[in-house]
Amino acid sequence: MIELSHLRKEYDDLIAVEDLNLAIPTGEIYGLIGPNGAGKTTTIRMTCGLLSPTQGTVHVAGVDVLHEPEQAQQHIGYLSDFFSVYETLKVWEYLDYFAHAYKMAEEKIAARVTEVIAQVGLEVKRDALIRGLSRGMKQRLGIGRAIIHRPKLLLLDEPASGLDPKARFDLRNLLRSLCDQGTTIVVSSHILTELEGFCTSIGIMEKGALVRSGRIEDVTAAANPARTLRVRWIGDSSSTVQSLLQQDPLISGLIVQSTEGEFQFAGTEDQLSKVLNNLVTVGVKITSFAETRQTVEDLYMKLSGHQVM
Amino acid sequence: MLKFWQNPEFVRHFRSELRRTRAVSVLAVVVVLCILVGLGCWAQRDNVIAKARASAQASGQPTAAELEFMEQRNPIEFWRLYYRTLMMGQVGILSFWVLFACAQSVSQERERKTWDFQRTTRLSPSELLTGKLLGEPVLAYFIVLCCIPISIFAGLRGETGFLHIIYAYTLILSSALFLGLVGIWLSSMFESRSRGVGVLAALGLYALVSIAATFSETMFPGVAAISPFSGLDSLLSFGRGPMPPTLFSHKTPWVVMSLLLYITFGAWFVLMIVRNLKKDPDQLRMLSRWQVVGCVAFLNFLAYGLFDPERTTDITMTDFATLMVGLNTLILALMGLATLTPHERLKVWWRRNHSKQAGIFAEDGLPWPWLAISALIAYCLMIWGLSAWKSALGYNPKAFQSGAIQLLAILIFITRDVLFIQWCTLTRMRAPTLKGILFLGLYYVATVVITIVLSIGSDQTGHHFANLLTPAGIFEHFDGFSFAASVFVGMALQLAVIMFLLMVIKRRLARPAMTAEAAAG
Repeated sequence: MIELSHLRKEYDDLIAVEDLNLAIPTGEIYGLIGPNGAGKTTTIRMTCGLLSPTQGTVHVAGVDVLHEPEQAQQHIGYLSDFFSVYETLKVWEYLDYFAHAYKMAEEKIAARVTEVIAQVGLEVKRDALIRGLSRGMKQRLGIGRAIIHRPKLLLLDEPASGLDPKARFDLRNLLRSLCDQGTTIVVSSHILTELEGFCTSIGIMEKGALVRSGRIEDVTAAANPARTLRVRWIGDSSSTVQSLLQQDPLISGLIVQSTEGEFQFAGTEDQLSKVLNNLVTVGVKITSFAETRQTVEDLYMKLSGHQVM
Repeated sequence: MLKFWQNPEFVRHFRSELRRTRAVSVLAVVVVLCILVGLGCWAQRDNVIAKARASAQASGQPTAAELEFMEQRNPIEFWRLYYRTLMMGQVGILSFWVLFACAQSVSQERERKTWDFQRTTRLSPSELLTGKLLGEPVLAYFIVLCCIPISIFAGLRGETGFLHIIYAYTLILSSALFLGLVGIWLSSMFESRSRGVGVLAALGLYALVSIAATFSETMFPGVAAISPFSGLDSLLSFGRGPMPPTLFSHKTPWVVMSLLLYITFGAWFVLMIVRNLKKDPDQLRMLSRWQVVGCVAFLNFLAYGLFDPERTTDITMTDFATLMVGLNTLILALMGLATLTPHERLKVWWRRNHSKQAGIFAEDGLPWPWLAISALIAYCLMIWGLSAWKSALGYNPKAFQSGAIQLLAILIFITRDVLFIQWCTLTRMRAPTLKGILFLGLYYVATVVITIVLSIGSDQTGHHFANLLTPAGIFEHFDGFSFAASVFVGMALQLAVIMFLLMVIKRRLARPAMTAEAAAG
């Protein structure tokens, strides 16, 4: 869906994005992660044709964004972090305006406006002036604007900025449903929990470069070949656990405390079940034996070596 | 191109500005104002007749027959006065409103952070331009629309003729569209934080356009036609207006001249806007290199066409050549600004130039080679223009020689100034172009002050000093190729400054760009 090739952007004497190569297949929810100033917004703005790159090419749905911008725009929906809406228009007028601006077929516009208003949950506000809407409603209207022309690609730059938890939850659900309908979504954020359990792929940007990119499980596996496991028990078995696990060559990074321990395991599922069996056999009263899921935040910290904003 | 009433941007403004209640209120206010204006005109005519009657009684002038004629014509004169007042009011309101609304159209969108969304729609720059031009001042157009029936009625009762009214409205509308284009052009050049500067520039521009009407008595009377008031004034004067301007010595009605100027200048503005409207502010470049050359040729051609030697008695060919050099100073300075290359593009050009992939005439290169070509074109047109007007001006071959030196000097000084501003754009200062212009302004003011101080001791010293640092010397005491020696020394000095500026620009361009990592570290 997106193909960025050798993308570079310079602002005065500063390279904001350097030699960025990225291909995102259709149907992905791609999270672009990185601290402020990493080049996420610049990348998104170049992808949607708002900024021309110093060097490199951008293709969206096979269309060259730089050379055929108006052709490319029909495939792209874009929402920036802080934006405004036309306060003196009514909700339906706002969407109708953009439907016409995206040159949708005239006979389909009215139905599509109604559909999008329902999709973003603004049915009761259809004829209300936008100036009377809450921040969350305006954000939903912004999403509605971005999807009014059924884009194949949705580019969201920090979409949850300033939203309350309920509005964030609604936003996630809306984006998931759009993804289910086949829309590819690229969402940038420096608030990593925002992307947790929601993106199918991630790209980590640091100082203008893409440090790592791919499906979350692949990135996780590449960053951390061993799985992290946590075991809990009752009773005084810490020394038994320590001695038993230390002997296993597949185990590393063992940390044992009074009633729990954590270690990295580089073996198969069968080998892991044997570890559990051995612990039970020597009389350790196991209460929990589970894999610790690595969060996007953990991954980002590990790969970038930076503090999360 | 979409039909304008279906243009989404126009429809948005229409919906936003002209909701039913507001439209009805505006209509009511306009009708009331028109009635008040009508009453005012009636009172004025009544006053004129009363004064005439009193004068007839006191001094016998006007005579009884003349008075009777005046009274018979009074209703027609009233309707004419009413019609004239309404039309002048409409052109004033519409031109001012359109210019100001359009001068904020793009910068306001940038400020509201809605501009990016318009840029990412499929509306082409020309569609966006049409929508903004007609949509931003939609309320002003509505006000004029409300006035039209009343104006037509007044015009017809005043026996002006329907065609006359059509001419007047064509002029009003075309002037408004032209000023709207200028406003959008101004607005698209300024970032949101410079919105105030854009509005101030629009105010200055409106004053300039209005003042242009005073050109009707100069040797370039056609310039006055750029003011919407000139053409309308001549139309509404019913044959008592100023003498019509000339185009290549052919008398041309004011309305035609105004339309000609609006269409030709308007076309240049459309070109500049369409090229840049959807671009980021730091990527703006008003015209391509060849378009700049074309624009210089157009402006020179127009100036020779608008020249009317009959309006002046004592201008020689040399004077006229000097006048044209003065005009070209302004033209080349503006074109220099229009050809400044954005920092990023210039760096790319520099790398390509370094690897022999792009030459000095490349689109993204430095502006100076194109300024030289423009000056050459200006000189070619000067040869043509002076030859064309030789019978009216009196042939003097030295005018061609002095014109060449004068244009060369102007080219050198303008190149220096443009390269200085280009250097400013490569530094990290905010609003570098504006600051560069201000620095140059300071430089010229300081030079003038020092010249005045030096002139107190010796007039000659003051002149020499001014000749070294400004092109002032080329406009005084010359004969063919012979100018004061300090003029040539000044040109050589400025060439050295240009070399220095080119060197520092290249040094700046040669600096490697830093990665964010290096910048942070």
